[in-house]
Amino acid sequence: MSGDSAAPAPGGTGDRTGRPVGRTGAGSRWGRLLDGGLLHGGVQGSPVLRLFLRWVRRPLLPVMRLWRRNIQLRVVVTTLLMSLGVVLLLGFVVIGQVRNGLLDAKVKASQSQATGGFAVAKQRADEAATATGEAASTTDGRSSQNVIQWMSDLVSSLSSGGQGAFDVVTLPAAGDDSGGGRGPRASGGVDPTASVPEELRARINGSMVAAQSYARIVYKDSDKGSQPALVIGKQVNDPNGDPYQLYYLFPLSQEEKSLSLVKGTLTTAGLFVVVLLGAIAWLVVRQVVTPVRMAARIAERLSAGRLQERMKVTGEDDIARLGEAFNKMAQNLQLKIQQLEDLSRMQRRFVSDVSHELRTPLTTVRMAADVIHEAREDFDSVTARSAELLADQLDRFESLLADLLEISRFDAGAAALEAEPIDLREVVHRVVGGAEPLAERKGTRIRVVGDQQPVVAEADARRVERVLRNLVVNAVEHGEGRDVVVKLASAGGAVAVAVRDYGVGLKPGEATRVFSRFWRADPARARTTGGTGLGLSIALEDARLHGGWLQAWGEPGGGSQFRLTLPRTADEPLRGSPIPLEPKDSRRNRGLDDAGLPRGEEKRATVPVQATGDRTASARGPIASRPVAVPPTADPTALPGNGARVVPRPASDARGQEAVPAVETAGNGSEGSAAPERVGPRDVTQQGEASRGR
Amino acid sequence: MGADREGGVRRPVRAVAYAACGVVLLAGCATMPDSGDLRDVESTPRRDTEVRVFAIPPREGAPPAEILQGFLEALTSDDPQYATARQYLTETAARQWRPESSTTVLADGPGIRVDRTTGRDATDDYAVALTGSKVARVDEQQSYTSLTGPYSQPVHLTRDKKSGQWRIDVLPQGVVMGQSDFQRNYMSVNKYYLASDTWAESGTSTTAVADPVYVRRRVDAMTQMVRSLLAGPTNWLKPVVRSSFPTGTALRGGVTALTPDDQNKLTVPLNGKASEVGREKCWEMATQLLFTLQNLTPTVDTVELQRADGSILCALGEGRAGSVARRGPVKRSDYLYFVDDKRRLVRMPGTGTSAEPVPGALGEGVQQLASAAVSWDERTVAGVSSDWKSLFVGSLAAGSPLEPPVLQSRGKAEADRLTAPSWDAQGDLWVADRDPAQPRLLVLEQGEGKPLDVRVPGLNGRVDAVRVAADGVRIALVVQAKDDSKSLLIGRIERDDSSGDRPVVSVLELRSAAPELENVTAMSWAGDSRLVVAGREQGGVQTMRYVQVDGSTPEGSPPAALTGVQSIAASEDDRLPLVAYSSEDGIVRLPSGAQWQKVVKAGWAPVYPG
Repeated sequence: MSGDSAAPAPGGTGDRTGRPVGRTGAGSRWGRLLDGGLLHGGVQGSPVLRLFLRWVRRPLLPVMRLWRRNIQLRVVVTTLLMSLGVVLLLGFVVIGQVRNGLLDAKVKASQSQATGGFAVAKQRADEAATATGEAASTTDGRSSQNVIQWMSDLVSSLSSGGQGAFDVVTLPAAGDDSGGGRGPRASGGVDPTASVPEELRARINGSMVAAQSYARIVYKDSDKGSQPALVIGKQVNDPNGDPYQLYYLFPLSQEEKSLSLVKGTLTTAGLFVVVLLGAIAWLVVRQVVTPVRMAARIAERLSAGRLQERMKVTGEDDIARLGEAFNKMAQNLQLKIQQLEDLSRMQRRFVSDVSHELRTPLTTVRMAADVIHEAREDFDSVTARSAELLADQLDRFESLLADLLEISRFDAGAAALEAEPIDLREVVHRVVGGAEPLAERKGTRIRVVGDQQPVVAEADARRVERVLRNLVVNAVEHGEGRDVVVKLASAGGAVAVAVRDYGVGLKPGEATRVFSRFWRADPARARTTGGTGLGLSIALEDARLHGGWLQAWGEPGGGSQFRLTLPRTADEPLRGSPIPLEPKDSRRNRGLDDAGLPRGEEKRATVPVQATGDRTASARGPIASRPVAVPPTADPTALPGNGARVVPRPASDARGQEAVPAVETAGNGSEGSAAPERVGPRDVTQQGEASRGR
Repeated sequence: MGADREGGVRRPVRAVAYAACGVVLLAGCATMPDSGDLRDVESTPRRDTEVRVFAIPPREGAPPAEILQGFLEALTSDDPQYATARQYLTETAARQWRPESSTTVLADGPGIRVDRTTGRDATDDYAVALTGSKVARVDEQQSYTSLTGPYSQPVHLTRDKKSGQWRIDVLPQGVVMGQSDFQRNYMSVNKYYLASDTWAESGTSTTAVADPVYVRRRVDAMTQMVRSLLAGPTNWLKPVVRSSFPTGTALRGGVTALTPDDQNKLTVPLNGKASEVGREKCWEMATQLLFTLQNLTPTVDTVELQRADGSILCALGEGRAGSVARRGPVKRSDYLYFVDDKRRLVRMPGTGTSAEPVPGALGEGVQQLASAAVSWDERTVAGVSSDWKSLFVGSLAAGSPLEPPVLQSRGKAEADRLTAPSWDAQGDLWVADRDPAQPRLLVLEQGEGKPLDVRVPGLNGRVDAVRVAADGVRIALVVQAKDDSKSLLIGRIERDDSSGDRPVVSVLELRSAAPELENVTAMSWAGDSRLVVAGREQGGVQTMRYVQVDGSTPEGSPPAALTGVQSIAASEDDRLPLVAYSSEDGIVRLPSGAQWQKVVKAGWAPVYPG
């Protein structure tokens, strides 16, 4: 079944290869997927990475889908991100400015304070030096008398000036740790060596200029954490004239508090702004998206055929105008479609009426022609020939008229199915029996295969017989004297009859067109001979009426096969056919690709014939094909002739019921009873024709 | 229609009203509040702005002067065991040097005088002398003694043979530092002992006596204090107090630092000596600890004593301590007593403004008074007649009659007669007779009977004022020497009941509490070991200041200046203001944190009970 049938088989295989992202995470499949992925993607070295990526991506997939589908989410998220970015930028700028401002003020105040402190230290050193000098003018041995206490007192008095505003530290002057045996001093529990940066000490050591630096104050023996500070230091002399380093440490805790206040304020404000912008975006998008969604929903309903659906319009804004325009469009569409429907109904009716009206004069003409035909022996040869021609063309005309009536009945939905369980073998034998004379004339043998077992289906025997007769006669006519094989099969819920010939076959693309009305292979040729050009169309409609398929396959020079598939019980949707559309003995299957045709095209040369099974077909795979059924010709009668127009079993009116037998006789007459006499000339004329219009 | 229109009008009005309310509310948030709920203010600890000196080890190859300087610096640092200072010494000297043996306080810190004879030329010797003028000395018991006079101690530095570094090999024992460094590094704390039972026959709880000592401020003061308490009272106080800790009690070996837990409970592990004490004794021990540690941070609310094996000896909370031993007066007084313009004794609530005569005879103005003293229990009052000749004792009960004087002085002039009396906690009345012919310090047991002569060995001059401390163990005397200088002396009261029917009372080991004041005019006890003194320094004007009983200057600022102070009344209770009688302004008082306020213009001799 795979590979030869257009219907389910490609779908099956496509299922596997066409969807690499298999949801069913069966372990056996991973390897195959990986192999495929590796071969295609070329990411050879990192299967683990791919696994990981997939593992990561899997929970994100719904989110990503939502992201793709939800414009509101997209807009809101984008707005949030952008406003967040702006708020962050603004925050950085503002905080930076506030910080600089705070620091500037603090530095200025601190510098003046420290400068005053250095002056005081110098002054006190001078005072102490003069006092010591006076007191101990005689001995220089007392030179270093008071420095220990003096310095402690100095630090104490300097630091008492600013309760908590600053701390004072003295350090020995020399670069190494012990200058002059003097220990460091610090007020306020500051760790002097850890709090004053080395760079500042080195800088001050060389010069007599004050310097400043930012540092962290470290506190000793207390649980107070370190804090940032501004350190201003200068080298000054003690009463003995020895230099030491005096530092003012200004903690920046107050500034830090102010900064954190600003930070907190900005963060809160920024948060509110972001939330506000997000909410605004959400609201605005909601205002726009809601009508758009409504329009989309309405449009979907319109496209589903519910033309009376309209949008609700409130207000006068742009959205309301959109809704009004949309509604107007829908109304116009509805109007146009209505008009077209009316027109087409009128045309169908016209065709039907014309056909009916032509019958009465035709009957009269026929009788007259019959009389003339009877009396043709009395005429001269030219007149006799004319009489014969007249009779022939009248036959043709009659059958054309009958077919037209039949097809117009289909178009009008007047065709009714009278299904009952029948054995298709009987029908087939009857048809084959009827076609025997023609076959003998063509030198063709008709074989019936698969009639060992009964092939029972619920069907309208008369219609099935008409279809099969059409197919068999066509096969014999185009079979070029080779065998015609009629194959019967039954499987699942379906039965099928395939008619195979080995004639000229079908060109690519013709398999779809053979069912078109008045279609011919060579449009240049006038339809003077052969069938009416409606036979296969009627057959297709018959098949559809059963809920079955009629499909054609062919290859140029390799013959063709027509397959009729019917559900075993009426109204049961078809899932497949027991017989492959492409026969096993096709050239392709035999490996004889002599024509060099791409096989895919041949394979697709199918006409899915489905009256009711749209959804089944789509479920089954690619044979679904609504578009295929659109006839290429501009025949006005073709418009309602597509699959959708054939209403399954409408309440059949009296006219239809009456008409069916009439057409039947006419149709049958053209193919069945009248076949023996008429096949001859048709044969002659169609011999070299590639047309499969019949 | 009408309804519609009405609703249409009303709706915007309501919306506007809501919006206005919202705006008002928001505007409330945007201004500074000018009213609101009451809330307690959490006390933020004052920042420690004290200067700390960080000792640094000696530098490689430092000259001897620098070594000496570094050593003296290290002595002023917070190094707990003077480990850094020891690095400046030779090994031998470091072994022998005992910094805890004493602390010598010099006025301006130690000066260095290089000994010229050994100094310059010798390469391996460097002899100097530390000089200065002594201010005080803290001995091994950590008790402070004021000193005067020059200080000179030899110090010798030598160059170490092996390393070639200069080190100190000869130095005086103990630590030497300047006065401000001393004040920065040390603090005065009171350890508490119990008054000896020999004298307190009253059935009330025993009295706790403060024993001020100096500990290093930043070197785990709590543990230092506990150790010091366990070591026993200082020599001066030892004869009159007892420690409830058995002799030899110490912290258990291996205990280095004591810290209260987060419920302010301090666990004190003791050694084996204290394991056998009884419950009452243990409570006394805990009370001593609690009293000693009460003013320290971190706060200690409960003390738990542990035996040597770790089991709990007993635990005592702050609330129970008061019932075990008494600290300060028995009863809190709310009254200030003074003599008003009618020369009668009146009293005034501590912060009030109007005075009322005391009940009893002395409040009736029958006998004009110059000065008075009210007993601690505020039941008995003693008054000196306005001519300072007679001492009357009366009851503070209404209607009690005026008794005849219990004591009369034979002094010729008013200034040579009696002093203001003073009650001690046991109810004995102390007074001095300034009669130049026979200066005496007298005590009247329970304010009656025949006055007892108090022996005051070593007294040089006559007693000009007398105030007994609330604990009844220490007495403050203003002694007028022959050269008219008046100094403040603290003595220890000892009482010997053994000889005969009348006890022998003596005041022993007088020591100066305010050595720098040479003319003390008034004084009063203002704390367990603190007095407030008005006096004049040599060549100065009259000032008022607080002094410690050991002669040191306590922390804190002195009271605001006041001229012409004749007498002072202070209370150990913080709520009662300091009251003084000034010859210019009458009775004035100093509420805490304010300036002097006038109370009564015409009034004399303000006293609090005691």
